[in-house]
Amino acid sequence: MDVTVTVNGTTYERDVEPRKLLIHFLRDDLDLTGSHVGCDTGNCGACSVIVDGVLVKSCMLLAVQANGASIETVEGLAEGDELTPLQLAFNEHHALQCGYCTPGMLMSATALLRENPSPSEDEIAKALQGNICRCTGYWNIVEAVKSVAK
Amino acid sequence: MIQSSETTLAPAPVEVQKGWGGQSVKRKEDKRLLQGEGVFVDDVKRHGMGYLHFVRSPYAHAHITRVDVSAAEAIDGVYGTLTGEEVAALTDPFFQISSVPGANIKDFSLAVGKVRYVGEPVVAVVAETRELARDASELVEVDYEPLAAVVDARVAQDSDTPVLHDDAGGNLMWSGLYSWGDLDAAFAEADRVVKIPELHFHRFNSTPLECDGALVEYNRGVSQWTIHTNNQFPGFAAIMMGPAMKVGLDKLRFVTQDIGGGFGNKITSHPQLVVCCLLARKLNRPVQWTEWRTDFHLSMSHGNERWFRDTEVAVKDDGTLLGFRTKALDDAGAWLRYEPLGGVIWAQVTPGMYRWKHIELEFTQVATNKAPVSPNRGYSRMQHLWFTERVIDIVARELDLDPVEVRKRNYVRAEDMPYTTPNGCVYDSGDYAAMLDLALGLVGYDSMEARRADAKERGKLLGVGIGSTLDSGTNNFGQSRLINPELQFSGNNEVATVKLDIFGEIVVTLGTTPQGQGHETTAAQVVADILNCSVDDVHVRAGHDSYWNSHAGFSGTYASQFAVTGLSAVKGATEMLAAEIKKLAGAVFGGVPAEALELADGGVRIKESPDAFLPFMACGAIINANNAGLPEDLDVTLNCRYVYRPPFEVPDVETKMGNLTLTYACQVHVAVVEVDPETGAYEIVDYAAVDDCGKRINPQIVEGQVMGATAQAIGAAVHETYEYDEDGNLLTPNFYDYHVPHALDMPPLATGAIESPSPFTPLGTKGMGEGGGAGIHAVCAAIQDATGQIVTDSHNPYQRVWRLLQEAKA
Amino acid sequence: MLLREVEYAKPGSVAEALELLAANDGARALAGGQTLINVMKARAASPDMLVDLNGLDDLTGIELAGDGTLTIGAMTTYTELMGSAEAKARPILGEVCATIADVQVRNRGTIGGNVCSNDPTNHLPPLMVSVGARMTIAGADGEREVSAEEFFLGVYLTAVGPGELLTRISIPAGKKDGFAAVTLGADGTCIANAAATVNGSVRVALGCVDAVPVIVTAESADGVADAVRAANLEPPSDVHASSEYRTHLAEVLATRAAQEASAR
Repeated sequence: MDVTVTVNGTTYERDVEPRKLLIHFLRDDLDLTGSHVGCDTGNCGACSVIVDGVLVKSCMLLAVQANGASIETVEGLAEGDELTPLQLAFNEHHALQCGYCTPGMLMSATALLRENPSPSEDEIAKALQGNICRCTGYWNIVEAVKSVAK
Repeated sequence: MIQSSETTLAPAPVEVQKGWGGQSVKRKEDKRLLQGEGVFVDDVKRHGMGYLHFVRSPYAHAHITRVDVSAAEAIDGVYGTLTGEEVAALTDPFFQISSVPGANIKDFSLAVGKVRYVGEPVVAVVAETRELARDASELVEVDYEPLAAVVDARVAQDSDTPVLHDDAGGNLMWSGLYSWGDLDAAFAEADRVVKIPELHFHRFNSTPLECDGALVEYNRGVSQWTIHTNNQFPGFAAIMMGPAMKVGLDKLRFVTQDIGGGFGNKITSHPQLVVCCLLARKLNRPVQWTEWRTDFHLSMSHGNERWFRDTEVAVKDDGTLLGFRTKALDDAGAWLRYEPLGGVIWAQVTPGMYRWKHIELEFTQVATNKAPVSPNRGYSRMQHLWFTERVIDIVARELDLDPVEVRKRNYVRAEDMPYTTPNGCVYDSGDYAAMLDLALGLVGYDSMEARRADAKERGKLLGVGIGSTLDSGTNNFGQSRLINPELQFSGNNEVATVKLDIFGEIVVTLGTTPQGQGHETTAAQVVADILNCSVDDVHVRAGHDSYWNSHAGFSGTYASQFAVTGLSAVKGATEMLAAEIKKLAGAVFGGVPAEALELADGGVRIKESPDAFLPFMACGAIINANNAGLPEDLDVTLNCRYVYRPPFEVPDVETKMGNLTLTYACQVHVAVVEVDPETGAYEIVDYAAVDDCGKRINPQIVEGQVMGATAQAIGAAVHETYEYDEDGNLLTPNFYDYHVPHALDMPPLATGAIESPSPFTPLGTKGMGEGGGAGIHAVCAAIQDATGQIVTDSHNPYQRVWRLLQEAKA
Repeated sequence: MLLREVEYAKPGSVAEALELLAANDGARALAGGQTLINVMKARAASPDMLVDLNGLDDLTGIELAGDGTLTIGAMTTYTELMGSAEAKARPILGEVCATIADVQVRNRGTIGGNVCSNDPTNHLPPLMVSVGARMTIAGADGEREVSAEEFFLGVYLTAVGPGELLTRISIPAGKKDGFAAVTLGADGTCIANAAATVNGSVRVALGCVDAVPVIVTAESADGVADAVRAANLEPPSDVHASSEYRTHLAEVLATRAAQEASAR
């Protein structure tokens, strides 16, 4: 089926099998490998992206369902080499180790901060509950998000 | 409830370091990772590559009576298949570390004739797309003749138990008796003998978020494979794969860049890598393999499950520990892979943190119809340290003594350092009692009785528990000879290359395969301090490539050693480079001796007349591209390779005495839990983690490792377990049933640090990061305190706690 | 990952969706997909066709009638319900939805999908039973309404037959509700749960103990534990809980839910 999506401002048109998950479409068809796969049951959130303003796990959505949508992924956060305050905070607070969960964490935190620019620690933890990190224990991630809260 | 953490330094003076070392320099590797520009193994693509999917066994134990791949191969877009029969014809079984009987098993990269656990790879299918490869794998016909399965190590050696490996003549893989000191004297001297019938350390692993994978290319012209992979110990993979594939190691080029977590779990992917290699050659195209989460849980590197049985502890009435004897029964799963090294690795920490002198441990490892085990953060020491900690708290309970006092009475003391253990290991430095005080202070131990009363008023049972463990780092591989005296391994090594390139770029190449430990940053800190430049001027190559020649037999990232082996190699190579730069400058300046020169401001200058300055760019250019007229005898390449070799002797195989590791980082964790007595559900309401890993090159990175190890320990203690039913089916094959901690599960954390520099390492550092599983025990001990019942399992889900409370009532 | 081949259809109306479902034996409705897509990844289910209900306006929206009755479109997401001013008329609904899975799943997962999948560990089936919800099911012959008690028939099985769709759920006015659960960790897989509503007497629906929610009633919260015991539950054992433990949890959670409901 023909699918047209706009990802980080660029429009792509591809012919895809209906069975293809959005995460595979992004990674394999569009070569946007920043979003990752960490599980096969929708638990880990490493594939989190923002579709038409809504944070979703791209492993639980078919690519064809995203037809016509505007998608934001980790690759679109920074302006060129200019990291966003959130990305800089992750570096400052050592909120990443292996970096595999990081793209999904950043998308979840970005979605949170848009909706609630001044989240409490508890609200941050709730916003990240769908993103698994196995390296950091989350403390520094919460710290990083808190540091950019207004 | 998550709460921010704060680091508290010990009151003991911490030496303030000058320069980059000792500073929390922000990580150099972060930028690419934050932009989604890391290169993880599944990101690597090649023209014409095929995707590999494994057909896996649905049975825990069965004969394979027929394999037919014709229907799969007939599908358009399917490139080909590989069967166990082909593997057996093309390769030799993997080399076994074990002596007999484990030495006799025949381990191939696909099941040959028989399957031995659910999820074992039986056939590999390669196709044009990932989806098609899986479709085709469903068309592979395999007939099985199911056999009874053994899933409980305790019955594995019974006469009526089915045998996994006929070649071994039974399910016993390896056994050995370790006995040091005088057990009879210890028990004769004892006021009390505390008997513990059975303790169980459960099966789990750290489940890195990225599973295993590879992209393998075969260069037919030179008969050489390039293996892009996230294997974290390519040196080990190479020595397993080369002989099996009957090729020299130079034909196996390992390349890694970013690895999505390792924790030891990515050491034993060599069977899958062999399959990829064979198919890349057979199909003459690049082969891509990505392991999905369920595959990983079913088949990859579970942590060692271990039983401690018939334990007897000789103690004095005042709580002085004299000695213990126990029988450790280790469940290796279906294949030995890295085993039975777990049968000796534990001995690095034989007495735990305590001064008992008389120890006997009978170690037995058996095979079961479960996934093969392999190293997992804290490998084998974690199981043993959990055991020693459990003994302390059970003894304290039996003698009605305070667990804090029993620990302090028996801890190895600061003034005893360096301390030689009963089996000849040398604990390098540390002040365990001071760490315990610091940790107790961080959770407000003095006011715990008031908190206990407060919890009781709210209908909750409060408990406090301590876990004190060692993270032994930098292995002496000579310990493998205690497993198998025939093995020709000993010592350890790591390599680094530091060079000045033509435009003066400082380029560092490591032999390690980091998975988030920040090696690019800490290596740059060490280099910058020696070359007296900025960390920003130091380019540490991302990842590992065995063709870079920065590769030694033990290269890799495992077993808590980078801060010692990796950074010592970096230090050695950089010092060589600094000396060469001075030698070159001395010649250029017309015969100035090295002592009169210094490195500064991105170059080298004469101390007394700083205007005589040669920038690194000029040095690099002269040597690499503008060298006419240089003195003939000037032995300078500005490309310095250094191999760090720690000082080790080969252990004595008869007495099993010897120094098995170079450094001993130490952890003291304290957990405070509140149990809901009606449901057994509990929450960790306070937590302190104190760590001493000697000199910290980058305290923030060190603290990050402490936090990560803490989170993994909490996960293992409360929720994470690989449970099998009696037929050998894994009941927790995904993150739905295998619950790892989420952000909301994390307790408030206070971290603390003491720095006791290691006297044995060039930088005073100690390997760290594994954390020894202190947290697992801290949670167990807290539950014991809250429920008043002896905790005998390392895994305590709510149901087990409820059961303990029922037993308390009865 | 890696689903079997499947056809995909995106109908423009409920009527068209019903036609597609009726015309294709192997067709299944795709709501939020937060369960179904996962099941398909495991290849435990492989429908021939997915009929995507996303974008059908007739299946969305939350209305509050003058008598306090809430009508919730089946394709309402958990997040939409949590943010709905109308849905606050029955506060327990938003409160329970906020404890389902995580932000991403709540953003896609739907109320209708939750009840139609009728996984025994889901939160909404017992809640729907306790609050006395009524389900409207559309089919070729028009619409019919069933009570929540009649709706849940078995594991993964509901009154929605082949060629039919759940279109909306109506929930009567009320406030005196409670809910309690024990999950793996703060927000993981559910081990046992209970929803309670006080309307004169106490009515508790127990989840995770049988194929469908089990209803017990008592005069007051004090009598709930006895009522649960009298129900002679025989819940399944699994890796997370033995039958005995679940039975015990059912009693504790039923009482807690009833106490919460009574206290409102």
